[in-house]
Amino acid sequence: MNALLIIGSPKGRSSVSCALGRALTGRLAALGAVVEEITVAEALRSPEGRERLVRAADGADVVALSLPLYVDQLPAPLIEALELIAAGRRERPAAAPAPGPTGPRIVAIVQCGFWETHQNRPAAEIVRQFAREAGFVWAGGLIMGAGGALAGRSLDKAGGMARNAVRALDLAAASLAAGGLVPDKAVSLMGKPLMPRWLYHLAANWGFKNLIKKNGARGRTYDRPFA
Amino acid sequence: MNTLILDGSPRDARGASGRAIASALADEARSRGHAVAAFSLDERTIKPCLGCFACWVKHPGACAIEDDQAPVLEAMARADMQVWITPLTFGGYSQALKKSLDRCLPNILPFFEMRRGEVHHPPRYTRRRRLLVLGTAARPDAEAEAVFHRVVERNALNLDSVGTLSIVVPDGPGDGLMGRVSEFFRAAEEDR
Repeated sequence: MNALLIIGSPKGRSSVSCALGRALTGRLAALGAVVEEITVAEALRSPEGRERLVRAADGADVVALSLPLYVDQLPAPLIEALELIAAGRRERPAAAPAPGPTGPRIVAIVQCGFWETHQNRPAAEIVRQFAREAGFVWAGGLIMGAGGALAGRSLDKAGGMARNAVRALDLAAASLAAGGLVPDKAVSLMGKPLMPRWLYHLAANWGFKNLIKKNGARGRTYDRPFA
Repeated sequence: MNTLILDGSPRDARGASGRAIASALADEARSRGHAVAAFSLDERTIKPCLGCFACWVKHPGACAIEDDQAPVLEAMARADMQVWITPLTFGGYSQALKKSLDRCLPNILPFFEMRRGEVHHPPRYTRRRRLLVLGTAARPDAEAEAVFHRVVERNALNLDSVGTLSIVVPDGPGDGLMGRVSEFFRAAEEDR
């Protein structure tokens, strides 16, 4: 089985999206898959990168698309990447068999800096719609709130708070490797909070205040250059 | 009343409907006395957001990237009503519109607040604003349209919009569109 990880974060391989995506494709590799990994930023940098992305998507049995939520949707460069893939598959119909149980599958991994998992739903729905239009089988969306808590670490290093995500990815990988879809149980586990909301807020607000102070911008936090 | 029109239509033939709608809406708004700022986003050089958060933690309110997004940000800060136009792209927005929206972080604050039971970022500029989002579609697709309306709902919540309308218009002359838009404009004018 060929698996492709598309990293949709502008932060590339230092991102939470990369860590989560690799956690899935690493499991797929352990189950025998050959894994290729592409960041959107790299792919869009050159005509060769674009071609590689389109070809890799055409040759994959499973595409894992891992992304951060940007303004309730996909980051703009990822939209461009998906349009390229969809156009490529329209031009080469042989690469895009009608969706069915044996077609190439796509799974979305979406995380956001907000605590609530459900804020990611529209982004997962956009990937599902992409799957419909580009001839992939929609395998499911693994969505997670409070992604900032992982701070780009691999799940193995994130400790107990990541235990539900780890189980979710174990279940998802096992099912995908067996030719199936993402099980409902995996979706449910992935959506469980990494920590209580009050704690996440406290840590996030403290973190930003600290960064502002470190950068010498404390007195300008609420500046309004266009007021 | 300050009205901002962001046209996210592609420059090529696929964007013809969106461009025509943007032009008609700008005329309508001006005829009603609005101060209109209109941007054809695909004709501008707007780079993607890097997610660096410098606009929050290094130079609050100002983006680290210097390009054609700066006047868009300023117009957004001053707008009482925002109008976004986009071809439906997998049920979401075009890359041109999305690139500009992704770069709006300078106009919000980094901290979290509760709004209607969820976490959101507070606005940096506390103007009451309305949001009208028009999606053009080459062919009917109920699933894509449903996604589009849900996305707009989420955006409205994030922007803390006080009045929101989303409409999907088939590519073509846009029959009946101006009537619905006029009603929305009237409500915005009465609100001020």
